[in-house]
Amino acid sequence: MSEPNAPSGPVSDGRPVRRELDEAERRTRFETEVLPYLDRLYSAALRYTRDGTDAEDLVQETVAKAYRSFHQYREGTNLKAWLYRVLHTTYISMYRKAQRRPQESPQEEIDDFSLFDELSRTTGSSPEREVLERFSAQEVRDALAQLPDSFREAVYLADVEGFSYKEIAEIMDTPVGTVMSRLHRGRKSLHQALHAYATSRGLIDASVEG
Amino acid sequence: MATADLSQCSDECREALKRLGAFLDGELGEVTRSKLREHLSDCAPCTERADFEEHLRELVRRGCSDQAPEHLKARIRLQLDALSATPSG
Repeated sequence: MSEPNAPSGPVSDGRPVRRELDEAERRTRFETEVLPYLDRLYSAALRYTRDGTDAEDLVQETVAKAYRSFHQYREGTNLKAWLYRVLHTTYISMYRKAQRRPQESPQEEIDDFSLFDELSRTTGSSPEREVLERFSAQEVRDALAQLPDSFREAVYLADVEGFSYKEIAEIMDTPVGTVMSRLHRGRKSLHQALHAYATSRGLIDASVEG
Repeated sequence: MATADLSQCSDECREALKRLGAFLDGELGEVTRSKLREHLSDCAPCTERADFEEHLRELVRRGCSDQAPEHLKARIRLQLDALSATPSG
């Protein structure tokens, strides 16, 4: 989809009902249906912007936009995906455009990096999974924060929100193939960032490094 | 890097690992999915790797469950009051 008002999923049962709602009804339905997603949207906004104040502004603007176009949301379709689509377009217009941040920085090619393989090579007897347990939540968030914007968003939408590739493609307005490539490269980058933490914290033996 | 470990694997493992990401994302078709599941049930190294990848996703999920601050919720309610008071469309 290319517009926030054309959400995913079957539209056959979707009726543009919101026009008929009076203001009080609209407000009530919006509060009942949309506001429960506030924590989720804020958590996503924190990951996207990597800043508490920016995240609050982004959520506030997203909710305002969603409210104004709530009549365009079609009942029976995927409300959560629609909200994330609004969040995405708002994020792009508020931040990426302003900062002219390279979206997919022509960063150096990521080799097929696997944290599991690195840990297998270097941790000796300690099972790879146990090493994962030693990362703090903050380290995982910091590792995620290091990914390029579009990789981070794709990984977030898949791993945290559990959206399908097709839904992510619609949310980010990009082909499914691009989503898959962003996920693949994003996860490799995440592995690399965590590997760097593991090395600096001495969780793995740097001397074994090739 | 990965090659040392993968060299001990069969072609079947290679095939499985190639599809592991899509498998964990729930994006494989029924046939491929059950084939991969079957392989995992027979292959401890691949299962270990799948567990690892799954656990990493879980860590990311757990690390990202923030709650919107109360003052933000209050701000949003005020904003909705203002928006409800003005005609929109």
